[in-house]
Amino acid sequence: MPVLYRASFGYLLRHPWQLALALLGICIGVAVMVAVDLANESSRRAFLLSMDAINGEATHQIIAGPAGVEETLYTKLRVEHGIRSIAPVVSGYVRYEDTTLQVLGVDLFAEREFRHYSLSGRDENSVVNSSATGRSAADVISRILTTPGALLTSERTAQMLGLEIDDEFRVMAAGIEHDAVLVGLFAPQEQSRLDNLLITDIASAQQWLGMRGRLTRIDVRIRADDERLSQQIEDVLPPGTQLLSAAGRTQTTLDMSNAFMTNLTAMSLLALLVGVFLIYNSVAFAVLQRRGLIGVLRALGLTRGQTFSLILVEGVMLGVAGAILGLLLGVWLGEQLLHLVARTISDHYFVVNVTDVSIAPASLIKGLTVGVGATMLAAAVPAIEASSYQPRLAMTRSVLEYRVGQALPIIAVAGLLAATLSALILVFSGDNLVAGLFAMFLLILGFALLIPIAVRACSRAMAPLAGRLAGIAGRLAISGIAASLSRTGVAIVALAVALSATVGVSVMVDSFRGSVSEWLGNTLQSDIYVGVVRGSLDADLLEDLVSVPGVESYSTSRRTWLETETGRVRLIVLMMAPGSYAGTAIREGDPEEIWQQFDKEGAVLVSDPYAYRHDVGRGDTIRLKTKRGDRVFRIAAVYQSYDANGGAILMSRHTYDIFFDDPTINSIGIYLGDGVNIDGVMDDIRQVSAGRQSLIMNSNARIREISLAIFDRTFVITDVLYWLAVGVAVIGILGAMLALQLERARELAVLRAIGMTPGQVAALVTIQTGFMGLLSGIAALPLGLVMAWVLIEVINRRAFGWQMDMTIDPAVLLSALLLAIGAALIAGIYPAYRAASSRPALAMREE
Amino acid sequence: MSNNLKKGMLVAVLILVTGVLILRTGPSSEPGLPVAGGSSRLSELLNDQGREGYAQAIEDRDFVFPADHGPHPGFRNEWWYITGNLDSENGRRFGFELTIFRFSLTPPGTESSEEVSAWRGNQVYIGHFAVTDGDARQFHVAQRYSRGSLGLAGAVAEPFRVWLDDWSIAGARPGGRSQDEYAFGQPWQLQARDGEIALNLTLVPQKPPVLNGENGLSQKAAMAGNASYYYSITRLQTEGTLKIGDREFVVSGLSWLDREWGSSGLSRDQEGWDWYALQLSDGSDLMFYNLRRSDGSQDMHSAGTLTLADGSTVHLSTDDLIIEVLDTWQSPRGGRYPIAWKIEVPEANLSLTIDPLMDAQELVTTVRYWEGAVDVSGRRGATPITGRGYVELTGYEGSDGPR
Amino acid sequence: MASPSPNQSVQIHIRNLCRSFEEGGRRHAVLDNLNADFIKGETVALRGRSGSGKSTLLNLISGIDVPDQGEIEVAGLNITNMSERDRTLFRREHIGFVYQAFNLVSTLSVSDNIRLVLELNGVTEPEAGNRIREMLDAVDLGDRAGSFPDVLSGGEQQRVAIARALVHRPSLLLADEPTGNLDDKTAEGVLQLLDRLIRQTGGTMIVATHSALVASYCDRVLELHNGALQPAGR
Repeated sequence: MPVLYRASFGYLLRHPWQLALALLGICIGVAVMVAVDLANESSRRAFLLSMDAINGEATHQIIAGPAGVEETLYTKLRVEHGIRSIAPVVSGYVRYEDTTLQVLGVDLFAEREFRHYSLSGRDENSVVNSSATGRSAADVISRILTTPGALLTSERTAQMLGLEIDDEFRVMAAGIEHDAVLVGLFAPQEQSRLDNLLITDIASAQQWLGMRGRLTRIDVRIRADDERLSQQIEDVLPPGTQLLSAAGRTQTTLDMSNAFMTNLTAMSLLALLVGVFLIYNSVAFAVLQRRGLIGVLRALGLTRGQTFSLILVEGVMLGVAGAILGLLLGVWLGEQLLHLVARTISDHYFVVNVTDVSIAPASLIKGLTVGVGATMLAAAVPAIEASSYQPRLAMTRSVLEYRVGQALPIIAVAGLLAATLSALILVFSGDNLVAGLFAMFLLILGFALLIPIAVRACSRAMAPLAGRLAGIAGRLAISGIAASLSRTGVAIVALAVALSATVGVSVMVDSFRGSVSEWLGNTLQSDIYVGVVRGSLDADLLEDLVSVPGVESYSTSRRTWLETETGRVRLIVLMMAPGSYAGTAIREGDPEEIWQQFDKEGAVLVSDPYAYRHDVGRGDTIRLKTKRGDRVFRIAAVYQSYDANGGAILMSRHTYDIFFDDPTINSIGIYLGDGVNIDGVMDDIRQVSAGRQSLIMNSNARIREISLAIFDRTFVITDVLYWLAVGVAVIGILGAMLALQLERARELAVLRAIGMTPGQVAALVTIQTGFMGLLSGIAALPLGLVMAWVLIEVINRRAFGWQMDMTIDPAVLLSALLLAIGAALIAGIYPAYRAASSRPALAMREE
Repeated sequence: MSNNLKKGMLVAVLILVTGVLILRTGPSSEPGLPVAGGSSRLSELLNDQGREGYAQAIEDRDFVFPADHGPHPGFRNEWWYITGNLDSENGRRFGFELTIFRFSLTPPGTESSEEVSAWRGNQVYIGHFAVTDGDARQFHVAQRYSRGSLGLAGAVAEPFRVWLDDWSIAGARPGGRSQDEYAFGQPWQLQARDGEIALNLTLVPQKPPVLNGENGLSQKAAMAGNASYYYSITRLQTEGTLKIGDREFVVSGLSWLDREWGSSGLSRDQEGWDWYALQLSDGSDLMFYNLRRSDGSQDMHSAGTLTLADGSTVHLSTDDLIIEVLDTWQSPRGGRYPIAWKIEVPEANLSLTIDPLMDAQELVTTVRYWEGAVDVSGRRGATPITGRGYVELTGYEGSDGPR
Repeated sequence: MASPSPNQSVQIHIRNLCRSFEEGGRRHAVLDNLNADFIKGETVALRGRSGSGKSTLLNLISGIDVPDQGEIEVAGLNITNMSERDRTLFRREHIGFVYQAFNLVSTLSVSDNIRLVLELNGVTEPEAGNRIREMLDAVDLGDRAGSFPDVLSGGEQQRVAIARALVHRPSLLLADEPTGNLDDKTAEGVLQLLDRLIRQTGGTMIVATHSALVASYCDRVLELHNGALQPAGR
């Protein structure tokens, strides 16, 4: 390394704590970003891989409405039209013990055109040995075809479930137990992930999933240039049945989680943003403290450009080192975050089974690039500063502070400009989520730039008061903040930004939870909810259930998906009891008229998110594929809802039965007569259903609890990221305080020399850091509230279409303040101790 | 062998196919696949406990037509087998084979009582389709399989139809012509298509069904039940179209139907067989199957039938024929096949030379065998005689040549 | 007005030099229409009270600072017209500095402190190593090459600074109270060294100092008073 750079690095090596904190700041910032990216990408990838494995060679899928595809269509295509590149699929989910398993019902003879996996029974190589348990692959196939419930799993899944070949067990599908027997194992081709998957014959799958006569879909392989085949298929399809691109369907499903993932990424960028402040802080300090050295180097003939690159290179090397550490930490953190992300995605969007983080080089490169890039930006400011130093023997502190003071109004104006630009973007960016997030970051930046000038005003105003309260130490402490704004400013800004993020997110989550809770209270009108997991309530059982004494009325519900021109949409089908109309909050219009149209005239309702996402409202129409062909449905009203998956359409059972051939009922809501004992009725229901179908039964209160629990679970990851951002901020403030107080060691030594007691010096340091914390906290509150507003009114609307009322819990604000002061005080402990215990003569000799 | 499992499901299906084909093709298969091991076990299965619960071909039965054209689900395996030689209008030579096999996975009556799916069933169908394009020296082969449920594949007696996907052999409606023209039963419609090849034929029987073996009971080995019911329609006048790529040929010629069903297979010491089905210019048709033992000798259960122009038959046993191999062909995939023969039937005063339409008529499906169109020349006494036919050769794929 | 004998070559030519600073809203003229010439190879002491502008004059001559008015020509180059970058490059090549506070880079060893200057001037190994060894021998610190400044005495540090100032063979050495932080005995040693080395190289030296001792080593002594230079009595 050239002597020049050694001269510069020597300083950092002599201040390892400062180096370490700078590294830690960038490291955590990068780590959080990489972790979120890896968790997102791993979930995405796991889903894509499993879809790839499950779709196999299929390029297209034939699908129909909620009831599925008529199985005779398959025979028709194959036998009458001679189309061979098709395979029938019946898929769904069953439970074995506590694990949810995907069932893929296939026709093994059609399979080899589509999915590739090798198959083995037991002793597949045994030639002569035909012991009773020995199974050839022929036997496996034969049993799959002829034995109800015969199935295959991957070896890993078998191990996970503790199953061996020939083990007989029971699986639960739609609340009914079925016999199953593991007859063989398949080895997925490399790369494909087929964990938690049961492959069985289409006949078994139809039986389990209640799909008699129906297929979930028909997989189709169409060569890219074969227009004729797709046309041939299209011509045969009955109404309500469509041929869709498999990749397109996968993408549509994946896209549902985009908003969620984007939000996570935004949270991780927040951590990085705080990290950038830290880097800036560290590099700026390193420059400030070496202004003497830089002066000498300039006098010796170092040009401005050389000075700039000297500091920048140093910052970049810090950035690279920190980012590499961040990558390592990020991979670890990503593994921790992964199950949170995957669980949320599974809760709200699609089932994703992912156990290992797949370390995508792209994520790492992104992390490294953003980390180093951010460091470069952060280091560029001090580097410019350093190169502007006149080659004096030493630049005096007062001159430096004078210049900072001069610059404050300019910085503040820049801040105002950034905030204004942010507001303009918010107003003019329509419903673009990324633009919204960008505006939010710009707003944070703008606000941050306004903080220093406010800090100066505050500390000047407060100094006399502090003097009265805490004597000379207090006065010196507070005025010192303004006097050394070049250092204190950055630290306060860093902490304020981090804290504002916590305030913003907390207020948003609180508001959201409040709205959801109120909405749940309103929506949940029935006394008892009875349903089956992923399946249909048996029709006979339903009759018996609603005949239980005490049941006054009931509503039924069917939740399913529809493929529309604009992607997958949740369809909720309701047969409403008289008491359940009040459970749907209609945004606008005369409820009586709307419900009349809904029940009798084939109109539908759409949820808030649907209306927002598709830009439709009352009186507009929706086109849906039904068994009677494409039909247009009028939207009678928009109703309040917090679906996470892009919105829902509400349709009456009456309408549904006309247009869809699907008697499935997923759950019913039971209304009891006055004075009827809930527990008694629930016991009766248990007795009626015993041995017939396993039901999920919950009281109104319990459903509410469960819903809120899922809600809270969704925000666990938000909490984790929140605390990581706080962690970065605390590390930042710690570093800043240490650097600040150490830089002042000489000054403090003078104070000691002229007669200040160690206690007074310690008090001075403590008061100063505490006050800085307080200022950060105070600055964080308005910024946090504005952020909350942006999150609620802009980000969540754009991402999910949710509408919620902003509620501010004073406790959130108070805890942010306390956190600020606490973090600052903790950060001040060591410098205070050091300042108090240093010997003045020694300190003065340093430099 | 196990690392060769990459072909996935296919491998498993192979064994099934082998199991079905075992009667015709013997216990052999492509080298390198577990089929070899599996099939030897399957042949055991076929010969021993595997037969339990199935109907057995033990005694004489009364054949009733057209009912017996239809399926016999009590037996484990069964096939409909049509070969033929065709000429286009401008004299281009073709041969074709369409075979549909039926195979029961479980004995009748053992199906699950809980039938909740139309997909459930114990019947598997496998089809082989081959076209020999003599002038272009091209040989096209395709193979299919399907479960015998949901109408994807199946067989019904009346109206007669056996099909697998869009391949089918079915009783054709007599349109326009009088019933008298179909003295030996209604015409059949044959349809098969694969890729660029499409065959669409109408087959009109020229003779009544011929019962092979002893009144249709064809003993394959000494043990009782190690036999099948076997009849043929040795001569069907054939007309229709053959499409190869963009070219469609109007074709006509003669076809041969073989029908066989049973529940057992070859015995363990039988290696394969040579099957000859020859249609001669004097109106007679000669069928002979030569079962070969592992030691290279001819099995005493080899047999055949000579059907005369008037439909009367002569049963042929091992001693009635003298077969001499004139030439062999080395398969590029291994194995040396006999490819030309001299056959003498002293009792019928027949002396025939058999040459293949082309050498490379080996079907590379899950099992390999040679099945090809042949030309016949020779004499009956002093009268010159010509003919055409099909020969099937199994069990040679690992061999150094005929022994 | 101070001027050398006309028959000797002029190294530094200063004409009508003015420099003032703003202090608390008032302009304070430090140098006021100052004229001076310095001959190649001479050593000149600048004397004057604190705040009389000695350091300012040195900064202006070295191009660290720019005058409000007037011209400075060094070795035939008019540095007042130069860009900041060109002044830096000029300084790097032509000027050596010795400070009162030594201003060694504390994180670099003695030899690396010297090497820094050579590196800036593009002198590479083995030339750089030879020159460093030569210089360290010349300042009698040949055995301290690997030491760090903070273990050296004040005199030793200043000798390192002199080595650093002269290693790239500048034509002009500027020194600002070079003995200000040294005791008399040490100061004498440093001055002798400085005097010997500058005369060996034939360079010009301008020393800002209060010290009569320092002045006694110089060829000429000029007094800076009220922003202008006058010859001082010996």
